[in-house]
Amino acid sequence: MIDEKEIFEKVRESIVEALGVDEEDVMPSASLFEDLGAESLDLLDIAFRIEKTFGIKIPRSGIQQDILAAEGIKEEDVLIDGAFTALGAQKLRERMPEIDKDRIYAGFRVDDIPTLFTVQTFVNIVKQVLLEKAGAH
Amino acid sequence: MKLKDKVAIVTGASGGIGKAIAMHLVAAGAAVVCNYCTNRQKAEAVVQAAREAGGSAVSMQGDVRSFAEMETMTASVVAQFGRIDILVNNAGITRDELLLSMSDKDWRDVIETNLYGAFNSTKAVAQQMMFQKKGRIINISSVAGERGGRGQTNYAASKGGLNAFTRAAAIELAPKNITVNAVAPGVIETEMSQEVMRRAKETVMNHIPLKRLGTCDEVASLVVFLASDDAAYITGQIIRVDGGFRG
Repeated sequence: MIDEKEIFEKVRESIVEALGVDEEDVMPSASLFEDLGAESLDLLDIAFRIEKTFGIKIPRSGIQQDILAAEGIKEEDVLIDGAFTALGAQKLRERMPEIDKDRIYAGFRVDDIPTLFTVQTFVNIVKQVLLEKAGAH
Repeated sequence: MKLKDKVAIVTGASGGIGKAIAMHLVAAGAAVVCNYCTNRQKAEAVVQAAREAGGSAVSMQGDVRSFAEMETMTASVVAQFGRIDILVNNAGITRDELLLSMSDKDWRDVIETNLYGAFNSTKAVAQQMMFQKKGRIINISSVAGERGGRGQTNYAASKGGLNAFTRAAAIELAPKNITVNAVAPGVIETEMSQEVMRRAKETVMNHIPLKRLGTCDEVASLVVFLASDDAAYITGQIIRVDGGFRG
């Protein structure tokens, strides 16, 4: 099993390659959109590079789908017209512990989830996928 | 040679325009992957002609209607050549029929090949181009996409959609230095146009100020230009090669 430091270094390399930013700017807490200037296509670019580096497939279903699948909750309990309910926001905060809790609130729009992504978000995704892959064998 | 050491995929390379595009890309120095769906013999003939002209070419089967097959083909090209610089979405069919007589199958087949095909291959190849931070995508459209044509609601819809896809994809992929343009041929001397000419030669000629059909080479020349660094600042454009077709 790869340790978190190694995962971070490889994720950082993918981000540097995709965005053309300096390595020292790619801190775990750095926001991809706000701090590193990424756009939505860049998130895909980073995801593709990470998949290639680690030999994994990152699910494209979206974090909101994970919430519904994992908890067995009805969609209307967590999402109304594309915005998280108070319960939905709580579940999202649990799913994204690396994000400042104040940034996720009732009314937060599901389309804005990518704007929350930090470097650590990708590290956590890789950890999760690798764990699931190891658990499957 | 403007495309020296570049690797190009041409979908539907077994037809008249596809062959001309492959030959012109090879003459410009590119290694060319001639994709085909069912016509292996014709695709191999294009490869043979390219090699006899001193170029590098291979054929690869893959149905553009299937994203999985386009993904597999892309992986094979990368495995063999290490890169993909140019994608020419040339695969296209016609199933002409008056709207009120057109079958669902004829509608779907044309949309799935001409429009879905470009979506599938572009989606598969663009990822590799993103890794390379550079790419050239050229869609072979048609003047029918803008002006329609009797008996061609399916074909015109597919090419009109391809034009819109070109513009949208150009905007999306520009940040990754991938240009996306379309070449819209008018009436070109090919097997596909022979039926059109048989039915309506005088009508067609009345609409062409240059009073002749275009050649496959004239379409291919524009494709090579758009694939080259000379066209690096051109994206999202639909460029007609049609002798001034009007009316």
